[in-house]
Amino acid sequence: MNKKLLALLALLLTMMLVLAACNSDEDTSKPADEPDKTEDGGEKEEDGAEENAEEPASDDLFSVVLDNEGEAIKGGTLQVALVNDSPFQGIFSYTLYEDAYDSEIMAYSSNVLFDTDGDFLISDGGIATLDVDEASNKATIKIQEGVKWSDGEPLKIEDLIQPYLIIGHPDYAGVRYDSDFQNIVGAVEYHDGKADTISGLKKVDETTLEISFNKVSPAIYSGGDGLWFYAEPSHIVKDIPVAELLESDAVRKNPVTLGAFKFDKIVPGETVQFVRNDNYWKGQAKLDGVVIKTVPTASAAKALETGEYDLALSFPTSAYENVKDLENISLLGRQELYYSYVGFKLGKYDYDASLAITNEEEAKMGDKVLRQAMGYALDIEQVNEVFYFDLRERANSLIPPVFKSFHDASIEGYNYDPEKAKKLLDDAGYKDTDGDGLREDPKGEKLSIKLAAMAGDETQEQVISYYLQNWGEVGLDVQLATGRLIEFNTFYDKVQADDPEIDVFMGAWGTGTNPSPAGLYSKTAVYNFSRYTSEDLEGLLTAIDSPEAIDGEFRAKKFREWQEYMQDVSAVIPMQFRYELLPINDRVKNWDFGYDTDFDYIDIELVADTPVK
Amino acid sequence: MWKTIIRRILVMIPQLFVLSLLIFIMAKFMPGDPFTGLITPETDPARVEELRIKAGFYDPWYVQYVNWIGNAFQGDFGRSYTFNVPVADLIGERALNTLWLSLLSVFLLYLIAIPLGVIAGRFHDSLLDKTIVLYSFIVFAIPTFVLGLINLFFFGYELGWFPTSGTVDIKYESGTAGFIWSKFYHILLPAITYALLATTGIIQYLRSEIIDSKSLDYVRTAKSKGIPINKVYSRHILRNSLLPIAAFLGFTITGLLTGSIFIETIFGYHGMGQLFIHAINGRDYSVITALVMLFGFLTLLGSLLSDIIMSIVDPRIRID
Repeated sequence: MNKKLLALLALLLTMMLVLAACNSDEDTSKPADEPDKTEDGGEKEEDGAEENAEEPASDDLFSVVLDNEGEAIKGGTLQVALVNDSPFQGIFSYTLYEDAYDSEIMAYSSNVLFDTDGDFLISDGGIATLDVDEASNKATIKIQEGVKWSDGEPLKIEDLIQPYLIIGHPDYAGVRYDSDFQNIVGAVEYHDGKADTISGLKKVDETTLEISFNKVSPAIYSGGDGLWFYAEPSHIVKDIPVAELLESDAVRKNPVTLGAFKFDKIVPGETVQFVRNDNYWKGQAKLDGVVIKTVPTASAAKALETGEYDLALSFPTSAYENVKDLENISLLGRQELYYSYVGFKLGKYDYDASLAITNEEEAKMGDKVLRQAMGYALDIEQVNEVFYFDLRERANSLIPPVFKSFHDASIEGYNYDPEKAKKLLDDAGYKDTDGDGLREDPKGEKLSIKLAAMAGDETQEQVISYYLQNWGEVGLDVQLATGRLIEFNTFYDKVQADDPEIDVFMGAWGTGTNPSPAGLYSKTAVYNFSRYTSEDLEGLLTAIDSPEAIDGEFRAKKFREWQEYMQDVSAVIPMQFRYELLPINDRVKNWDFGYDTDFDYIDIELVADTPVK
Repeated sequence: MWKTIIRRILVMIPQLFVLSLLIFIMAKFMPGDPFTGLITPETDPARVEELRIKAGFYDPWYVQYVNWIGNAFQGDFGRSYTFNVPVADLIGERALNTLWLSLLSVFLLYLIAIPLGVIAGRFHDSLLDKTIVLYSFIVFAIPTFVLGLINLFFFGYELGWFPTSGTVDIKYESGTAGFIWSKFYHILLPAITYALLATTGIIQYLRSEIIDSKSLDYVRTAKSKGIPINKVYSRHILRNSLLPIAAFLGFTITGLLTGSIFIETIFGYHGMGQLFIHAINGRDYSVITALVMLFGFLTLLGSLLSDIIMSIVDPRIRID
């Protein structure tokens, strides 16, 4: 073999490796069907609007409260694994970060101003309180006196204004300068450079900020309408030009914070070391510090088993089997703000007019009965049991049960019932007229449905073929659009462009803490991928975000009506809710993984010097 | 010779230019863009469009290309969309990690493979030879991630002899002796894993070359002159048998920067291989193009280096 040939061979081999690596990376990183986790992490406390709050099944499956006992040692350092195959970005500013992993790290040093209740609505009890005056479209924020930054500087109203000045700045290049933000009076003028500051932000006195909005809606209590949840240390940040902020030491190396712990040392992308923040307004943490280190997915379970770490953040549920029986580990679990769904294409989006145009008559999936039959035919229960260890459950509505006051547990959803599916189809005239075992449409013409589904880990392929088989069993001919599973980016490109090749698609949303469905189902929403709209639907969506709905009960009622309506029109059929896990070593005491809790990081204690093996 | 080298370097310019054009166009052909993965129900589609326009994604490709190449000539490869830092800084940081790991890997690789190859060739058909050949086939058959995981689980977690992820322990101050030791300690296990797996090629080449050389005239002459047999092997046979390995040395040197995605992922060691895959999946155009250009340049340079090295070690070969 001559040299050239050898070089060529070597190159080929390398390319094969790289290609193989592409696949393996997709398998191990976060599931491809998951749009990045949402930004607004809410802290929690009990309060607010709750009526007939049915306990979701989640609380039965896993405990959210750690019940380890034992005498605590003094101090100690909590060893935390952050399960992630890539480095974290290391943007430690709530105003600027984009990566969900950064926010998991920042939770230990949090700059959150408001406390929230079980529905993620702002409640009293945090550093700041919120008072909304609907009549004048104004919000008044009052901060407690005596709150200090981790460097000892007192928290000032300027620190509350600072994030607005960053996000609104012309040099700011993130997604947060959005239509919500423009709802603040004067935000657009500031962004366009016509004003030096945002006129709607008014410092009333040393502890009071008044914000004027163009309109206020109930979403303001979820941190919507342009309200910002976090503070920025203006005494440090204000002199750094916005364009340089992202790379500044104030963000990357030694961020100043308000939480239980403060940043001590950072190895970029790998490790963060926190120490106790003696200036924390709620008191002193019992731990000396926390070390958070990224750990690859492949060895996360092993790392817990051998007692290398006390707990694992972003623990992959696919590794559940490897940790569930470990003796040194307790598993806490809670439901995620997530649902997956089957969507049916019922129209097109007119990008010039920014309107979804529904055309049920002409759409192949225009018949409601057909859509419902397809929902009943899916054996999602079986899939959850076999492939997801029951860490996913059949979703009954389009609001995750985590939102206790808004989720309607009484909706039945589409539980697996192939006989019902067959009967629906029979009655509606979908009969097999040519004897090939597959149903024709009521006009007697062949019915072949194209499903778009995303590529994911190795189980995804099996899951989707099982669904196709389910539909085959009730006599429906469903084929994969493009003939195979579709890569994440391509999938959303096609779905968003209303590709005629797609009749049905399977997607998922991480919903964030604001449950308002307007962004996903209103007639102007680009993300209303099924393109279904109607006057009734618009009416409900408007009511949910109307000023009347600031009254919690009215809003909850409209949420229920909306979920029932969506169940009835079945343009989008909910598929699964899912759980997230927090495995914790037995030496850790006092932890509450629930959304609705008084838990604070200062309460954590350890009962041994090293993690239990 | 110098003339040839300069000519080869000059030829690289159009080659790299074509490569840059191809990679730029193909990267843009990929569906989606860096913002696709960021979308949540709370993202404002209008703002995403605004950012796309700002980033120039709607300009015709040749406008984007000219902008990009213009900046690249001034050393500005743009910003990474996913990591939000200048591409040059990002690559610099990762390249350094990868360089140290690769250097140790290659060192260990030669340290293991050359003696084994020599022994197998010299005592060929003996039990020792058969054992070495068997070993080389076994490691050839083991996928990287399998041996990586076994090593990590056993030596890292069970025995606790090695650190299990990252590049350095946070407790050391940068620049101290402890810091350097910790860095070395962190690359040791991945480097050993890599070295063990890569030995097959070298062992097999060396072994067959030595076996072939044994029966050649110059070896017989040397032996008949009464040169001690050890010296025949070390001075005469080995020198000639190392030629095919020397032929690859250029690629090996420039390959130090490419990194290994499997090793890096398993050992949580953030290097170039991982960066490349991550950039492709996240449609981080600026990083993709910069890396492909770098890898392309290194490949061309590697082939040139190999030729130069060959002309030095093998007087029969002359570049002109």
